Amino acid sequence: MKKLLITLGFISAILATILAVTPLSNLAIFPIIAGFICGIVIVFLSKKEKQKPKTIQYIFLLVIISLSITIYKGVFTTLEVGDTEQLEERDEENLEDSKEILEGLDIDEDL
Amino acid sequence: MIKHRIFGIIYDIIILYISFMKKLFLILLFLVCYQNFAQNKTIAAGEKLVYTASYNMSGILTDIAQVKMETSEVKTSKNTLLRLKCTATTYTKWDNFFKIRDLYESYVSVNYLTPYLYKRDISEGGYYKFMQYKYNHKTKLVQSLKRKKKKDGQTWDENKSVKIGASTKDIVSTLYNIRNLDIHKAKPGDQSDFTVLFDNKETIITVKYLNKETISTQIGSKECYKLSIAVKGSDILKGSNSNLLWLTADDNKIPVYAKFKIPVGNGELKIVSASGLKH
Repeated sequence: MKKLLITLGFISAILATILAVTPLSNLAIFPIIAGFICGIVIVFLSKKEKQKPKTIQYIFLLVIISLSITIYKGVFTTLEVGDTEQLEERDEENLEDSKEILEGLDIDEDL
Repeated sequence: MIKHRIFGIIYDIIILYISFMKKLFLILLFLVCYQNFAQNKTIAAGEKLVYTASYNMSGILTDIAQVKMETSEVKTSKNTLLRLKCTATTYTKWDNFFKIRDLYESYVSVNYLTPYLYKRDISEGGYYKFMQYKYNHKTKLVQSLKRKKKKDGQTWDENKSVKIGASTKDIVSTLYNIRNLDIHKAKPGDQSDFTVLFDNKETIITVKYLNKETISTQIGSKECYKLSIAVKGSDILKGSNSNLLWLTADDNKIPVYAKFKIPVGNGELKIVSASGLKH
C-alpha cells in the first residue's frame, strides 16, 4: 500500500513539474492535488508504523515547485499574440491579388 | 337580353381584374419580403471584432488563440465590395508547440452579402494550405484552386470546377449571413439551413433559434439570441444542441460567445472587443 502510494505520489509530482513548465501549466493543478494527497497519506502511514518518511520530502518539494511555477504563470503571464509579420504580408498579397481577380469577375451587385 | 350580356361581360372583366391584381399584389409582397430578408442590414465596413479562443481540458479552460473578424470596403473599377476577413493567431506561449497563422477572407456584395471570391490561407504547425473559390452565380459554378506545400518547400496547384446550388456560400460569408437573419421575427425552435462549400464539398449547416438569454461578456451584460448549430452528415461538430452561438439581440447581432464540441474535446470563443459597428 505504502509503496503504491509512493510510486503514485512520485509520478504525480513529476507530471506536475513537467506540465507546470509547459504552456499547459493550468492542467498541472490535477497532478499537484494528487501528489499532495498521496504525500499526506504516506505521512500518516509512516507515523503509524513509526518510520521516518524520507521519500515524502521529494514528493512535497516537487509539488511545491510545480505549484509555485503554476501560480507565477497564472498571475504574471499576460496573453500576447506572437509575430504576425508573415500573416500581415500574406494578407497584403492576398488583397492585391484579390483586387486583380475581382476586376475580371462578373459581379452583379443586385444579386 | 343584350343588356344582361353586357353586364355579364363587365362583371367577368372586373372579376378577372381583381384576381389579376390579387396575384400581382402577392407577387410584389413576396418580392418585398424576400428583398427584406436577404438585404444586408447588419454588417458595415470598418467593423472589428476580437475574440479569445479557448480549449477546455478536463474542465480547465486554456486560452489558445486570438481570433479577429474584420470588414473593409474593396473598390474595383466597376464595383464596391465588402471584404470579410477572419484571422486566427496563437498566443506566444503556444507558438513553439503549435503555431497557427490562419487567414480566411470572403469578398461579398455590400447589399446582399453574396460571395464572389473566397480565400483560405492557413499555416498550422508547419502545414500550409491555400484554397480559392471564384464564384459565377449565373452558371452556378465555382472555380476552385487548391495549393499545398510539399516537404521540399515547393507548391503544387489543383484546379477544379465545382457545381454549386443557388444559395451555396463559403464559411465566412455564411457566418455573416447568419448575423443578417431576421431572428427577431423567429420563434424558439425555428430553424434555417445554409449550404456551405468547404474543401470543394457542399455541406448543410442547420441553425436553430433556441431562446433569448442574458449573458455577461467582456463588453458588458448582453441580451442574446441563443442559436444551435449542427452540420448534417458530418462529425466535425459533435452532439445536438452542444454547439451554441450567442448573438446580441440588437440590430448589430454581434456573436459574443460560442461553445463548440469537436471530436477531441470542446472549446469556447469569447468576445474581447467590438468596434466600428453599424448600429
